[in-house]
Amino acid sequence: FKDDLSTSPQLFTPMSPYDVDLPIQTTEDVLFGSQFNQPKELPTDFSSVDLSFLPDITQDNKEQNLSEDGHEMQRELDGSTSRNEDSSIFMDESSLSYPDATQPSPEGPGVCPPLTPMTPMTPVTPASESSGIVPQLQNIVSTVNLACKLDLKNIALHARNAEYNPKRFAAVIMRIREPRTTALIFSSGKMVCTGAKSEEQSRLAARKYARVVQKLGFPAKFLDFKIQNMVGSCDVRFPIRLEGLVLTHQQFSSYEPELFPGLIYRMVKPRIVLLIFVSGKVVLTGAKERSEIYEAFENIYPILKGFKKAS
Amino acid sequence: FFFFLSLDVLPRVTCPNHPDSILVEDYRAGDMICSECGLVVGKSCLCFINNKNCSFQGTGAASFDEFGNSKYQNRRTMSSSDRAMMNAFKEITNMADRINLPRNIVDRTNNLFKQVYEQKSLKGRSNDAIASACLYIACRQEGVPRTFKEICAVSRISKKEIGRCFKLILKALETSVDLITTGDFMSRFCSNLGLPKQVQMAATHIARKAVELDLVPGRSPISVAAAAIYMASQASAEKRTQKEIGDIAGVADVTIRQSYRLIYPRAPDLFPADFKFDTPVDKLPQL
Repeated sequence: FKDDLSTSPQLFTPMSPYDVDLPIQTTEDVLFGSQFNQPKELPTDFSSVDLSFLPDITQDNKEQNLSEDGHEMQRELDGSTSRNEDSSIFMDESSLSYPDATQPSPEGPGVCPPLTPMTPMTPVTPASESSGIVPQLQNIVSTVNLACKLDLKNIALHARNAEYNPKRFAAVIMRIREPRTTALIFSSGKMVCTGAKSEEQSRLAARKYARVVQKLGFPAKFLDFKIQNMVGSCDVRFPIRLEGLVLTHQQFSSYEPELFPGLIYRMVKPRIVLLIFVSGKVVLTGAKERSEIYEAFENIYPILKGFKKAS
Repeated sequence: FFFFLSLDVLPRVTCPNHPDSILVEDYRAGDMICSECGLVVGKSCLCFINNKNCSFQGTGAASFDEFGNSKYQNRRTMSSSDRAMMNAFKEITNMADRINLPRNIVDRTNNLFKQVYEQKSLKGRSNDAIASACLYIACRQEGVPRTFKEICAVSRISKKEIGRCFKLILKALETSVDLITTGDFMSRFCSNLGLPKQVQMAATHIARKAVELDLVPGRSPISVAAAAIYMASQASAEKRTQKEIGDIAGVADVTIRQSYRLIYPRAPDLFPADFKFDTPVDKLPQL
C-alpha cells in the first residue's frame, strides 16, 4: 500500500460515476480479445496511437529496432541498479494482486456469498440519500497473456526503461511514461501491468508493452486481459471515531493502533477492503470492477456519518 | 488457585511395570510411588493435555542400584502425538517467566494455543509465532495488555509476524479483544521508571483527558501514555528524560516529542486539580 498512500489524490471534482471515461466498448474488447487482427475503435484521446498490429512482423522491422536500441543497452544496464529499490514496491503490489488472481473464486463479480438470515452484512443505504462524493481510482493492476515464451535477457538489453535482475526477481520490470505504468514481464509470456488510473489506460498501457515486446521480435499476442485489482480513495471531509466503529462493527473491523493507524474494514458485499483513517480519508481496494468501489463507498458513507467526531 | 488446578485435572498415571498397582502418595516430595516396585511414577506436574501416562525417569533414592547407576530408563516420550504442543507450552512458560506473568495468563495462553492447534487452520505458521500471539491475546483478555514490543522482547519472533498471527487467531477462534487504552500501561511504565504514585496518577489523568479532548487524534495510545508520563514527570520532582521513557515504553523519543507537542498547549487543563507542582506549568519544557 506504500505507493497508493503516498500519491496525493487531486481535488475531487464531483462527477457522475457514469462519465465518458468509461467506454462502452469494454465488452466488445472481451469478445475480440483472442483475435485481435482488427483495428480498434478507441476514445479520441488515444486515436493518434496505432495499435492495430498483426501477430507476425517482418524481419527488417526487427533489425531496424535492434540498430536503434543497440547503443541504448549499455545505458540501461547502468540505470537498472538505481531502480532496484523501486522494483521491490512493485513486487509487493503484484503479490497483493496475485492472491486474488490465483484463488479460485466460485462467485462471479457482484455475486454475494450464500445469504442466510444470520449472515452478517453491512446495513444497506436507502436510495434517497447519496453521499455526493465519488471515490477516485488510484491504481489498477491487470494481467495479460502474451502467449509466447520470452527471452528476458534479450528484452532487458534491447528495450528502453527495462530492468532485469534475475537473482532478485525473475521478471523484467519495464516502465512507460504515457500512461505512467510499470509492467512485470515473465519468461512464460505473462505480464502484470500496474499503476494505471483507469481501466482503459491499463488496457492501453498493456497493449503498448505488448507492442514493445513484439517489436523486439517475439510473436506477442494479447490474450485474456483481465483487471485483477482496483484501488480507489476519497475523503469524507469529517473526522471519524474509529473506536466507536470498531465496537459496533466488530465482525468486519480490525483496529490495532499498534499495528496500523487505520481501521481495516472488510465489507462482505461487495467484497472490498476499506482502510478508514481518523482524518476522514478512506482507501478502498480489492475491487475487480469500478462499480464495486462505488457501491462499497455508498454502503460505508452513512455508517461513517454516524461516527462523525463531535467538534 | 495453583492447587485448584492440580485437583481439577488429575493425570491418570500408572507404573509402567505394574499397571494395576496402587500408587502411594509420598507426602514429602508430593509424587506418586508404585507400591509394588517403589518406582516414582508421577511428579506434581500439571500435564492436563492428554490422558496418557506421563512418567519421567526415576530420580528417587530407590531407583539407583548398588553401584550408583540409575536402574530405570523410561525416558520414552509418551506424548509423541502432541509433542509440538508440549514444546509450545514449555516455550510459553519460558516467555511468561521472562516478564513475570501470573499463572492465570499462562493457563489462558495454553488454552488458546490448544484451541488454535486443534483447529489446524493455522498449521503452516511457526508454533512459536502462534504461541507469542496467544500470549499477547491472553494478556489482553485478562485486562492487562502487553504491547507487541514487550512480547517481541521475550520472543524470537518479529513484531510483524506476531501481528499477523494475532489477526489470524482472532479470526480462527472468532473472538475479539477490547481496544487498548492509555491507562492500561500506566502502572507498569511508571513503576519501571521508579515514579511515585502521585506522578502515576497525574500521568493517567493527563492521558485520559488528552484523549477525551481529542488533542491526539490518530496517535497510538502507547505514544500518548509516554507523552503524558513525560509531562507529569517533568512537572514533578522526579524528572525523566524522553529517552528513558522511550526505552521503557518501546516508543521512539521523536514520537514522544510529537505527542508532547500536541498536548503541551492544553497542559494546564490536563493536570489533575490536586497535583503538587515541583515545576510550574508554564516552566514545562517546550520541545
